[in-house]
Amino acid sequence: MNWTRIVFIFMMLAVIVGAFAFYGPVLTYLLLSVVFAYVFDPVVTWLECKRFPRWAAALLVYILIGAAIAWSTARFVPRLIQEGNQFITLLNRSGQPLDETILQLPFIRSAYDFLVNLDAKIPNINLADKLLNLVSSFRTRLGELPQLLFQNYQTILSTVALVFTIPIFSFFILADKPKLRKAIVSLAPNKYFELTLILLNKIDENVGRYLRAMLLEMISVSIMSSIALTIVGVPYSVLIGIMAGVTNIIPYVGPWIGGAVGALTILVTGQPPVMILWVALAMFLVQALDNYVLYPVVVGKTIKMHPLVVLVTVFAGGYFGGVVWMLISVPLVFMVYSLISSLQKNLKQFRLL
Amino acid sequence: MIQKFLEWLKHLFVVSERHAQLRQYLLFKDLNAHQLQLVDNCLHNREFKAGETLFETGFPLEVLYFIAEGELKVSGASPSEGFQTLKKHDCVGVADLFAKEKRSGTATALTDLSLLALSQTDFWDLVNKNSALGVKILSACCRILGRQITDNGPYNQA
Repeated sequence: MNWTRIVFIFMMLAVIVGAFAFYGPVLTYLLLSVVFAYVFDPVVTWLECKRFPRWAAALLVYILIGAAIAWSTARFVPRLIQEGNQFITLLNRSGQPLDETILQLPFIRSAYDFLVNLDAKIPNINLADKLLNLVSSFRTRLGELPQLLFQNYQTILSTVALVFTIPIFSFFILADKPKLRKAIVSLAPNKYFELTLILLNKIDENVGRYLRAMLLEMISVSIMSSIALTIVGVPYSVLIGIMAGVTNIIPYVGPWIGGAVGALTILVTGQPPVMILWVALAMFLVQALDNYVLYPVVVGKTIKMHPLVVLVTVFAGGYFGGVVWMLISVPLVFMVYSLISSLQKNLKQFRLL
Repeated sequence: MIQKFLEWLKHLFVVSERHAQLRQYLLFKDLNAHQLQLVDNCLHNREFKAGETLFETGFPLEVLYFIAEGELKVSGASPSEGFQTLKKHDCVGVADLFAKEKRSGTATALTDLSLLALSQTDFWDLVNKNSALGVKILSACCRILGRQITDNGPYNQA
């Protein structure tokens, strides 16, 4: 028995377990940084081919992204702020207590009136009181929000700090990608060297292509939704359109969120309820364009997973780590899936299985 | 960042040892400093002990090997195909790269080996994304394969 080998393997396992325990809290941010780096890698590689050193190419991409954010902030944020302010004003109008304001919202008011009628017809049911209690508890929760923020300020600050570190992590991943790749490959024994390269290339190709396609789809759906909702005449159309685009990347669940927010806005702002039908039609058209034109062309065959697997993965991701994991769970599982299928095929070809 | 900038400035004026070493290979002989840097980004250093097998006949072809130190033997699928000994600055796998997806021979280290390895995915990426580099490398491949045909031996690449 080779004791040195056994001790070495145990030490390596201990290091791996220790690393997971130590880096575990920032794992989500690291994964998001990798996603960010994958999306912009082709641009950096293209610039590198045009004689830019890789670090300068990554820096230039960051400057361009910064400029794009600054331009869109100057162009769209005033409208977003205006729309946000209008919404807040709507909630706080005439300085009334919040629960009274909530009760004046058209759809809540009609629901309340309906329940009062129902209470009059069916004795001891008291559904209107229950609605008032619900509104009151909502107000209490809303009142607790500043206190909650103050009590958890350390957690909030560290989360915000970590969110801002994602672009920094991504910069190093982008700038030093060849070095990182070499470092990973160098760990593979000679027997598994070619196999490791095949697997890395497979991940690079599949995951990179999928993530870039998703980004393009997200931007396209945001633009299409904003235009469609503006034509229909929905207030806050840009805000809802962007939300619809972002949530659209959560398979199956996402597309409903944008439509639901649009419908809720119609109810809250007191627009005629028939407008909900127009919102539904507008979002349906956007989804039809996305599903039958955009998705097959842009995302196409980048991901081959059964719809049921995708759905279960999205819900499992949400249960495990919230919205962020809902977004990254599908590419992550797809990466593992393509890795295993490629591994199975190549292990046989390299006569290792 | 400043260190990277200084390194880049230095590369503009001084031919690095690594680039000079890469130019010793027929495949990279005509590349300029920038193109050599792109190639170097994709190269992996590997060490093999004497007697160790690099690959066997029928294995999937993923890597081109460039010998930096040592000697290796490449033998054909059958004894009638003979074998070829390759030395420093030779490369292994160019013919298979264009002919088939699998290895047509078995390579074994005759001495301790130091190799540079280039994935064929990276190779085709380099060729497709950089037309000038692609033309130079593919011309070099033609020269290597031409020599093999005129020498009438499957592994005469140097």
